Amino acid sequence: MLLAGGQGSRLYALTQNVAKPAVPFGGKYRIIDFPLSNCVNSGVDTVGVLTQYQPLELNVYLGNGEPWDLDRANGGLHSLAPYTLAGDAGSWYKGTANAIYQNIGFIDQYDPEYVFVLSGDNISKMDYREMLKVHKKNNAAATISVLTVTMEEAKRFGIMNVRDDDSIYEFEEKPAHPKSNLASMGVYCFTWSKLRQYLVEDEADPTSSNDFGKNIIPNMLNAGETMMVYRFDGYWKDVGTINSLWDANMDILAPDGDLSVYDQKWPLWARNPIRPPHLIQEHASINHSFISSGCVIDGDIEHSIISDSVEVGHGAIVRYSVVMPGAKILPGATVEYAILAEDVVVGAGAHVGSDQVYDDPNKKVAVVGKGVEIAAGAEIEAGAMLYPEKKGGDK
Amino acid sequence: MLTNLHAIIFTNRSNYESNLNELTAVRSMSSVPYGGRYRLIDFMLSNVTNAGIADVGLVLQENYQSLLDHVESGKDWDLARKRGGLRLLPPFSQKPGSGNPRGRVEALANLGGYVADIKQEYVLLADGDVVINIDLDKVFEAHLASGADVTPVCTKHYTGEPNCTVYYVPKEDGKYDIVHGPDEAVGMEDLNIYIMSKEFLLKQVKECATHSNYYSMIKHVLMPNLDKLKIVPYVFDGYASRITSVASYFHCSMELLKPQVLGDLFTPDRPVFSKDRTDPSTYYSPESSVKNSIVSDGCIIEGVVENSILFRNVKIGKGCVVKNCILMKDVEVGDNATINYVIADKNVSVSANSNLGGAESYPLLIGKGSKV
Repeated sequence: MLLAGGQGSRLYALTQNVAKPAVPFGGKYRIIDFPLSNCVNSGVDTVGVLTQYQPLELNVYLGNGEPWDLDRANGGLHSLAPYTLAGDAGSWYKGTANAIYQNIGFIDQYDPEYVFVLSGDNISKMDYREMLKVHKKNNAAATISVLTVTMEEAKRFGIMNVRDDDSIYEFEEKPAHPKSNLASMGVYCFTWSKLRQYLVEDEADPTSSNDFGKNIIPNMLNAGETMMVYRFDGYWKDVGTINSLWDANMDILAPDGDLSVYDQKWPLWARNPIRPPHLIQEHASINHSFISSGCVIDGDIEHSIISDSVEVGHGAIVRYSVVMPGAKILPGATVEYAILAEDVVVGAGAHVGSDQVYDDPNKKVAVVGKGVEIAAGAEIEAGAMLYPEKKGGDK
Repeated sequence: MLTNLHAIIFTNRSNYESNLNELTAVRSMSSVPYGGRYRLIDFMLSNVTNAGIADVGLVLQENYQSLLDHVESGKDWDLARKRGGLRLLPPFSQKPGSGNPRGRVEALANLGGYVADIKQEYVLLADGDVVINIDLDKVFEAHLASGADVTPVCTKHYTGEPNCTVYYVPKEDGKYDIVHGPDEAVGMEDLNIYIMSKEFLLKQVKECATHSNYYSMIKHVLMPNLDKLKIVPYVFDGYASRITSVASYFHCSMELLKPQVLGDLFTPDRPVFSKDRTDPSTYYSPESSVKNSIVSDGCIIEGVVENSILFRNVKIGKGCVVKNCILMKDVEVGDNATINYVIADKNVSVSANSNLGGAESYPLLIGKGSKV
């Protein structure tokens, strides 16, 4: 069960009209392709995607699940939106736990022994089978995958405090004084009969916020259920903020890195527009970058991700940026430390963003929302946010 | 929108397949890789699907495993349909020992009752190896408006080798002469795309079944009946090419580097569909330098590439110099290799430090899977 209903409000201009999991990522992908590819590569063939906020584009993208080989006669991919019940009952998904509660009927159809509850907005390559092994071996009610972080970082995460055998005795949300450095990744494995019981009890509690982290996990712990951590040591990033989204894009750019897109053993699946190969013209110069199909490149590209069908004109410069599908960067324009959403046009000679310190966690990345046209010669300052209705171009 | 037109695509027209040497030793003409991520068949299949033609027969004759791998159910062209869609037509009633059909009419006669069962009133016959993005709706409209018996699609921009090409030469009375395989191109070149009524086609197929020497659309149906038939060519003015030899394969491929040709073939209104494989983006390393080239997804480039076409998942090592080359899917060029005027088929691996080259008129062709 993939939680894909979040708004992603900290991504501002990128999620005005689209759910966060549908935001383009890494040249050829959307964020949701990572958990979906993990499911498929782990042999999970029944996936419910829980949608709520702005689901249109996400649903169009998912379609019948064919790109992930999830168009199955039995199981496969299903998009699950909140619904109403007889009388006045039914509601929006009130919280992560309520989203699963409302779909107990969907899960029961398949009568599974185990259910994974996954976050639809993490960038990670993870074999869920390894986690299930730990879960089964310990006969656990729940297994929560965790990442080892620094004690300083631990203050920003949900932290699992564990015994010597990796069983959890306490869960603390963003502790001021962390006792452990095992941070929850928002990837849970449950024994379905147990989870079902706690979901029903939680729904009956009017004071509950119907959330996994706040309610379900603490309730299970208090009741003395066996709960394990699964220690994951691969790449994981929550792309909830502009800077983390930018960072993760830069991480995927390393062909030999943990997130390598060229790893044949863990392929990434996505819906692909059928576009011709890209054309590199006479004046182009490309350095440490991704270029995708349908692009026409005649400018300088450095340390950037260029998605499908992007045009970069003669004399244009793109540095340390993420350019989403269909954007046009006209001749002589400069784009630095920026994220350009789909179909953005940067006018001739315009300048978006400015040079930043690569490793600075507080660097200012400029963001230009979908379809925004920036007038020729315009200056867009570092860290600016341009929304679709807020056209750029003021000098 | 569904049209009253049925399409039949011929996937091997073997009269010049042998000119392509190793390229067609392992596949049919229609499945020759082209343009970075395509097979030749993609163009005609896309033309058909973009014109709303719902029923398509693919005539298979020999060497068709690679083509079947590529088209599968036809889903990438939206032709995997519950009703109609793509039909694969391997030989049905070929007489034992009779070899390949000698012409299009015989190939259709070999399909048993296929033509008789066509539901639409009109039929498009086309070769699967023409590189063309054409609005077939317009050709169909022209056919209906002219009331012609046969509408062949022609071009004034010559592309094929004259000795294996058909030309339509206008006469004073408004009719056309047909010239088959002259020494030099004349009139308008036939692009092997025809529209006619099902009734007309069925008559020819039946004729073929009774007369063993009635098998060719050009030689037996059209040429002897120029006075009786109304033949009105449709003149196509966009880019088209017919590949008839290794040199013409090289030439036609390199024409894609002209923005005009690229724009003509890949117009956004009529996309060219192909098998979807979900490859990652292509990575350009800090040492890479690429100019005037077409590059597909999934490549890793660490060397110099100029005036070349790279298919998917090609790897160019450090210090390599690749000029005027066509490198097909999964080709690997080892570090510090220099190659010039090379066509490398799928999975070729060029060892490090090697130096290979052909000439523009005679590019060096390296067969599928070779290690050199």
